[in-house]
Amino acid sequence: MTQVNSSVDTDASSRSRIKIERRVNPKASWTFTMYLLATVIGLGLTALLLLTSGADVIKAFTTLFNGAFGSQKAILATLAKSTPLILTGLATVVAFRAQVWSIGQEGQVYSGAMGAYFGCLIFAGLPAWLYITLVVLSGMIGGALLGGLAAYLKDRYDVNEVISTVMMNYLIVFLLSYLIGGGPWTEISTTVVYQQTGPVPSASELPHLLGSSKLHLGFVFAMVSAVICYILLEKTPLGYEIRAMGFNPIALAYRGTNIGRTVVLVMAISGAIAGLAGVSQIFGTSHRLTVDTLYGLGYTGIIIGMIGGLRPLGTVVAGIVFGGLASGALYMKLLAQVPAALIPAMQGILLLTFLCAGVAARYKIVRVKSDG
Amino acid sequence: MTTILKAVNLTKRFPGVIANEDVNFELSAGEVHCLFGENGSGKSTLSSCLFGFYQPEGGHIEIEGEIANFKSPRDAIKMGVGMVHQHFVLVSEFTVLENIVVGTHEAGWRLDMFKARSRVTEICNEYRINLDLDAYVRDLAVGQQQWVEILKALYLDAKVLILDEPSAVLTPKESERLFRIIDHMRELGLSILLISHKMIEVMKSDRVTVLRKGKVVGTVTPADVTPQDLTRMMVGRDVELRMVRDRASNLSETPEQVLLVENVSYRDGRGKLALDDVNLHIGKGEILGLAGVSGSGQKELFEILAGVLIADEGKVSLDGEQIQGLPSRQYMDRGVGMVPDDRFREGLIPEFSIRENMILGWQRHDDYTSGMFLNHKQIGIIADGLIDEFQIVAPSGATPVNHLSGGNAQKVILAREFIHSSKLLLANQPTRGLDLGVIEYVYKQIIAKREEGYAVLLASEELEDLLNLSDRIVVMSGGRITGIVDPQTTSIEDIGLLMAGSEKETAA
Repeated sequence: MTQVNSSVDTDASSRSRIKIERRVNPKASWTFTMYLLATVIGLGLTALLLLTSGADVIKAFTTLFNGAFGSQKAILATLAKSTPLILTGLATVVAFRAQVWSIGQEGQVYSGAMGAYFGCLIFAGLPAWLYITLVVLSGMIGGALLGGLAAYLKDRYDVNEVISTVMMNYLIVFLLSYLIGGGPWTEISTTVVYQQTGPVPSASELPHLLGSSKLHLGFVFAMVSAVICYILLEKTPLGYEIRAMGFNPIALAYRGTNIGRTVVLVMAISGAIAGLAGVSQIFGTSHRLTVDTLYGLGYTGIIIGMIGGLRPLGTVVAGIVFGGLASGALYMKLLAQVPAALIPAMQGILLLTFLCAGVAARYKIVRVKSDG
Repeated sequence: MTTILKAVNLTKRFPGVIANEDVNFELSAGEVHCLFGENGSGKSTLSSCLFGFYQPEGGHIEIEGEIANFKSPRDAIKMGVGMVHQHFVLVSEFTVLENIVVGTHEAGWRLDMFKARSRVTEICNEYRINLDLDAYVRDLAVGQQQWVEILKALYLDAKVLILDEPSAVLTPKESERLFRIIDHMRELGLSILLISHKMIEVMKSDRVTVLRKGKVVGTVTPADVTPQDLTRMMVGRDVELRMVRDRASNLSETPEQVLLVENVSYRDGRGKLALDDVNLHIGKGEILGLAGVSGSGQKELFEILAGVLIADEGKVSLDGEQIQGLPSRQYMDRGVGMVPDDRFREGLIPEFSIRENMILGWQRHDDYTSGMFLNHKQIGIIADGLIDEFQIVAPSGATPVNHLSGGNAQKVILAREFIHSSKLLLANQPTRGLDLGVIEYVYKQIIAKREEGYAVLLASEELEDLLNLSDRIVVMSGGRITGIVDPQTTSIEDIGLLMAGSEKETAA
């Protein structure tokens, strides 16, 4: 019996005590209440932060909300912003559910974008639908290879995946900087050299949706990925193995499942999804390969996956909320004179309160009469 | 006799269960008092409360008539209560003396090893404990490590010594010595609280308090009762402990060989020879018992026979086919079932439902999939059928196994391994920690498998059970087989000698 039984005496003279007990079966309503409370506390703390920066809190929150969800255009922009975040969030879900602590989503976004850019160069001239398909696939392969490499190092040489993925994040961003900052992929310009490639061929661009100038096919990829992740985890033997590995890899290995192979698969799938985030960002939004447009997507994805409770649906919701924060931040910055740097701070605060809510949902507070 | 330690209406709850309810209990000065009960009856919880590890919700503890409010074991130690846990808490890279002295309240900033050594030597002489103080703990046998733990408690001036199933890790010889010294300690005025479920030890103590489902059934003097009375108090009903085996059905003298193990050796991660040239065979319809103190190589042997571990040398053949070196998957496909000794760690995914655990290892099998998906409906039907068949008590098949009692969890493993295997059943300590009723059930199931023609390898700490169930018994010590004996002509004492390492020349 390993339950935590921390008891807190409220008042030495009183005969009843407040105790915190672990719930045997967490109730949905209680869980919901906890997350609502987390949101309120998170916004409250953010308000404090806004106050210290001298901004008008009410105005800031209003513009933030309007900028994120206030109009159809705003919503479409939010969904566009959320697209890569949902994908990196899902990549986190697949890895973390297996308790493979990959921090490599960031690097896999870069390697995915690079794979796709490479694809758009070599497959140019093919029929449109085949061209886009191959570009997307080469992006996914780019992410999967980097993820698979970390898994191979873990399986073969017992290299801790946290270390290897973080290190590879650095390596891959330097490789990209070389390729686009003087290397073969650098944009040829007569005046100055930017750290970027030239525009991708227009035939390889992801088509826009609903006539919007921002929302593109990548959002459909994100939604389909979420559904596939759900089916993978809940309905397939591989998903069974991923979840079992997350809870007890020893018993899984005892009953004949090859753990090393499962780790490689998990990391390859996770990498492919993260790679897709890179593809959608480059071919749906920026239309050229740069570091700036990809920076931080992978790390934010970890936060989103965690806030989403490592579940595909929760991750979609969290991704859209964070997309809204990012999208609304621009308006907030313009209209309420709030520094945009407060947005990552706000995301951090929300992550902390949500993680606390996740723990709190598993406990309850009870009053007990004590006769001592 | 004066009462040294007293529990008054002690109540301790865990979420969903009451581990101790209104427990009243007295320990007199200079007595050996035994706490007796099945697993889950609340013995460990009670002793953990008495040692300050848990804080009771109701009731209180008195030490020599004064109310003691233990916030942590530190408080209990200050009041003269010492405890030796089943799992030792020793630093293996330290010497015996260092282990005893380090971390005690007397240590302070500067260790006076010279003074400490003379105190420990004095204690050793007083209690007639014979131990090399400068030996490294890693070099000590399990039985000797236990003495280090006991010395740790005595060094802290314990007046009350709580021993949690001290003989579980000992050979019969070692435990005999332990109880001789316990007797001597009692004569010197120490009070001993002994937690045990072994009848012989219980009958030797001064008084016995029987616990059942967290409550005290009664406190009796062993001289006034029979073992049968105590068992009835513990279980609440009569139990048929002896498995009646029909040995007449075992007439074929040379049964077909199912498993053949030849010259298997294995060195563990630290370079220790865990298995040293092991040879054995099991025939169709035969139960081979495996005896040995824990750490004698049984676990490694089981893992090698299940394909989880790969031996450094030697051959393992199943039905004449050499399979050593293949992945465990291949063993399972060839009909090998395994009941591991650490069931929640090695046999189950605790957070998974009963249904999901029923297919662990077989999640890709055609019976449980349709196309590339799991067939949850089919899994549910088969698993729920097994829940009925094996009388697993649970609200539903969707209940996570970590909500089940040890016995029901073990039945999940048995059900899974029984239906998915066909030739060889490996059962390592299948009854450890289970209630008598469930033990009876597990043994009946194993015998049924034997009747079906399975070869069975059965390891157990309960030597009597091994003698009753096995067709032959192999005894291991220090990674070697020290003897293969016929249970009908061998006594527990003989097996004990083999367990301690003396080789037997004649094999049965």
